Amino acid sequence: MQKKKSFFSNKRYFDFSLLFIVLFLIGFGLVMIYSTSSYNAALDYDGDGLYFLRKQLISAAVGVVGMLVICFIPYGIYKNFALIIYVLSAFSILLVLTPLGHTGNGARRWVYLFGMSIQPAEIVKVGVIIFLAALLSKMSNKERASWKGIFITLIPAGIISGMLYIITNNLSSALIVAGIAVCMLAISTPKCYKLYILMALGAIGAILLVVGIAKGFLGSGMGFRGERVLAWLNPEGYADGKGFQVLQSLYGIGSGGIWGKGLGKSMQKLGFLPEAQNDMIFSIICEELGLFGGLSIILMFILLLWRIRDAGVYCTDMFGNLLVTGIFSHVAIQVIINIAVATNSIPNTGMPLPFISYGGSSIIFILAEMGIVMNVARNADFKDRREEKPAEAEDGNEEA
Amino acid sequence: MVNSGNKKARVSASRGRARSVSNRLGVFFLFVLFTFVALSVRLIFITKDNDDVYQQKILAQQTYDSQIINAKRGEIIDANGTVLAASREAYNVILDVKKLLTMEAENGKGLVKSATIDALVSIFDVDRNVINNYINQVPDSQYYVVKKGVTFDEMSRFLPYITKPEEGKEKDSLYNKNITGVWFEKYYVRYYPQNNLACDLIGFSLSDGVASYGLEEYYNDILSGTSGRRYGYLSGETTMEVTTIPAVDGNTLVSTIDTNVQMMVERSLRAFSNQYENNARKGLGANNLGCIIMRADSGEILAMASYPTFNLNDPMNLTHLYTESEIKQLEEEGTLRDAYDALWKNFCIADTYEPGSVMKPFTVAMGLETGAINGSESFYCGGSLKVADHDIPCHNTDGDGWLSVRQAVAKSCNVALMHIAAKVGYKDFLDYQSVFNIGLRTNIDLAGESRTDALVYNEKTLHEAELATSSFGQGFNVTMIQMAAGYAALVNGGYYYEPHVVSKILSAGGSVIKNIEPRLIKQVVSSETSDTIRGYCNAVVTEGTGWRAKPAGYEIGGKTGTAETVPRGNGEYVVSFMCHAPADDPEIICYVVVDRPNVSKQEDAKYASIISKQILTDVLPYLNIPMTQELSQKDIDELNELELSVLTNRDEGNEEETETDSGEKEGNQ
Repeated sequence: MQKKKSFFSNKRYFDFSLLFIVLFLIGFGLVMIYSTSSYNAALDYDGDGLYFLRKQLISAAVGVVGMLVICFIPYGIYKNFALIIYVLSAFSILLVLTPLGHTGNGARRWVYLFGMSIQPAEIVKVGVIIFLAALLSKMSNKERASWKGIFITLIPAGIISGMLYIITNNLSSALIVAGIAVCMLAISTPKCYKLYILMALGAIGAILLVVGIAKGFLGSGMGFRGERVLAWLNPEGYADGKGFQVLQSLYGIGSGGIWGKGLGKSMQKLGFLPEAQNDMIFSIICEELGLFGGLSIILMFILLLWRIRDAGVYCTDMFGNLLVTGIFSHVAIQVIINIAVATNSIPNTGMPLPFISYGGSSIIFILAEMGIVMNVARNADFKDRREEKPAEAEDGNEEA
Repeated sequence: MVNSGNKKARVSASRGRARSVSNRLGVFFLFVLFTFVALSVRLIFITKDNDDVYQQKILAQQTYDSQIINAKRGEIIDANGTVLAASREAYNVILDVKKLLTMEAENGKGLVKSATIDALVSIFDVDRNVINNYINQVPDSQYYVVKKGVTFDEMSRFLPYITKPEEGKEKDSLYNKNITGVWFEKYYVRYYPQNNLACDLIGFSLSDGVASYGLEEYYNDILSGTSGRRYGYLSGETTMEVTTIPAVDGNTLVSTIDTNVQMMVERSLRAFSNQYENNARKGLGANNLGCIIMRADSGEILAMASYPTFNLNDPMNLTHLYTESEIKQLEEEGTLRDAYDALWKNFCIADTYEPGSVMKPFTVAMGLETGAINGSESFYCGGSLKVADHDIPCHNTDGDGWLSVRQAVAKSCNVALMHIAAKVGYKDFLDYQSVFNIGLRTNIDLAGESRTDALVYNEKTLHEAELATSSFGQGFNVTMIQMAAGYAALVNGGYYYEPHVVSKILSAGGSVIKNIEPRLIKQVVSSETSDTIRGYCNAVVTEGTGWRAKPAGYEIGGKTGTAETVPRGNGEYVVSFMCHAPADDPEIICYVVVDRPNVSKQEDAKYASIISKQILTDVLPYLNIPMTQELSQKDIDELNELELSVLTNRDEGNEEETETDSGEKEGNQ
């Protein structure tokens, strides 16, 4: 029997690389938030250019403390509360409809809880990851690969994703939740051909939808989202409407050149690029710090995902592994979509850039997820993994 | 053992599954990596292909509002430095309603709106309901003028509420973070410290850069200064520079006007008007009263006044002249604008009238200059003269008998003058008309001088009868300033100076930009003729019609004028008195015109000469012009009485009343 390791034992692993990358991204994000928001904040808040920075700094501090606390909480505990967490996160969406909910930027997406303004969508993302990790870890490979397993996994995720879309009119978050679920299922299950078929069908459907909108078969019926697709295909043609934001974003990226105009010297943030400190912060980074800055940030995210992947790869426990997979998917999807929108690679949908964009709930919950990853990494048995290499081959044979 | 084995197997199975998850996670990582690479490539292409194009698009949409910085309008000061017109900072209180409501909704708890409105109401004394109504009606407004024209002091009382205190001084501060959305818009407002004084001459500027009448309009460009600008421009291809060109404040005008002389003149005109108000008819003491005091040998205007006046700080106010119902009536008739014009225009330069007998010295000068007469002739006046089938009467219809030229001027005989004009002839009369600048503008530096070229005779219209009436100033029209400038040349040795009102232009900092020297235009008559005419005019006061104008202690010369207005025969006259003082070495010219005095028998120049006497009695000693003769006991008594009456009435504030009585007595004699 293995000797029980003491909780704070020095022998335990702590992923300082991950911590460093996270802190770097947050610090960089704060600098960029100050740069992008100070002009508009000074206009809107009586010359208080620090308004957004101050709020974000408080959120980041709360998030970092939360992350460090969570990284010492054994992740196994979550498995026992998975169902409760799922129900509570669904309940948090419903809170938006109560008097606690409040409206911002034209959509009712926030609730006041404990004196803070929180976006339930962020709670839901964490909740779904934990719930699906618990659910999937209890099933065998065969069960997960069957239609039954697929639907048992996707239906709870679909319900909560639908709630996000219908109740808070937040398509971006709904897509992320669905994306996380599909990724977790696909990664956890070998030879899940049925799921691949579903994914292929979904991809074909999406392509048909875009072609349909572009050719005008569905144009008017799709409302503003249809227009977004058209604006994506031809941003100049919709420069006054849906194409405005993304066109301004392209102007920002394009005008930065290789080395950028210099920190703080963006012109697009002076009221031209909507949501400059939020969904479109990547464009301002490129304008001020150039292609170099933009690629550096992409590199930092690659490093971050690599550290997250490592935590999963060396974790020998299915639940921990799935947790990391979910968090990995979450960060990857969100970063990819954000940068893809800023570069007009996909139709416009509001998605904050993790760690960097302005938004209290977003940063607090993403840091909580990092705390979970760190805890999984602490418990990962690197030595074990290296020693039992032949066993992996054995596994592979077994599956084959 | 079996249990343990099972457990081990389960753990092993879980590990196995975890392994396979790890592999696929690695594959997924590679997929993500590939996506990132694709995005990076796209990023590179966006930058590479569009660097300059997008940069220029960005610069093109920068709307660096080129912002105007208002210049301060220059001052107008009198010869002694007394401020006649100046600009001061004023502020509009602006409320950004949208911002107020946004802050209220975010974290107001009902405090933001109420605190802001409370502060506005308490400092600026505005109506709370008006603000609340506006906020309810236009919640989107970002520019609501709460109050206009707040002074710097008032604004300063509000500033502590919205100025964040320094560290450590929070306790003493009035700062209230709930007060939001209030800001101040700075501009300059024109004000006239002397109110009504010289109103026609100064003119007024209601808004920046727009001026009406008088000096304000004539010198608008010089007073306005140059607005500054803040603007952005591109230096090189892609760099935006912001540049500020500061405003250049307007220049200061130093006027030749002496506020004290102007006050003396205006006081006398007002006294006259009050005296005869509602006398023979309803209304002021005369339709118009005008007076010019000018330096005889430089053309500098010392005072130029007319009556009625208006307050330059409130030029739209007519209530001192009309009742509310009368104003309403004017508005209905559409003549309100005319009423304003009549009030605002400068009678001394804008109104034209027939000069009457004031023309006589000019006619005699023409005779002497052309050699038509030599001054030793005598003319017989039988009360009228038949010219071209018209019997043209003298003002003394009984006739004065034989008169020398000197007596003809002194007694203001029309018949003698008609004879002289006939000797001068049409051509020379017209030539000398333009020599004396009659029918031409004087080009005085004031806005609104009338053109009179169509109001005088020319070769085609001047016939025998017209020549005859022209000799005594009937039939053609002039402005007061034309006559004053011409008369000055007649008596100062023959030198015609362009009349002017501004002597110096100073920069806002006080350095001299331009000195305006007296401008000698021409010599109109020889100095001998000038001496002769001066002698004739002195006789007008010593032995003729102008005796009432003589102030105690000074010898003066002058000429009375009585001109019937068109249409003839309805008993309406313009009476005037033109004079120079002292008699032998003229320093000032004083010209008083009374347009249709409010008396039953208007054709008496005494109304003008009495005003002249009052003005000269005040002005000559003030200008340090020494007395030219011993004061008789009568003069001393008169001055003492005047001084006493001035003293006593200054206390009672109705000086005019007493003078009215004495004037009335004199008029009845």
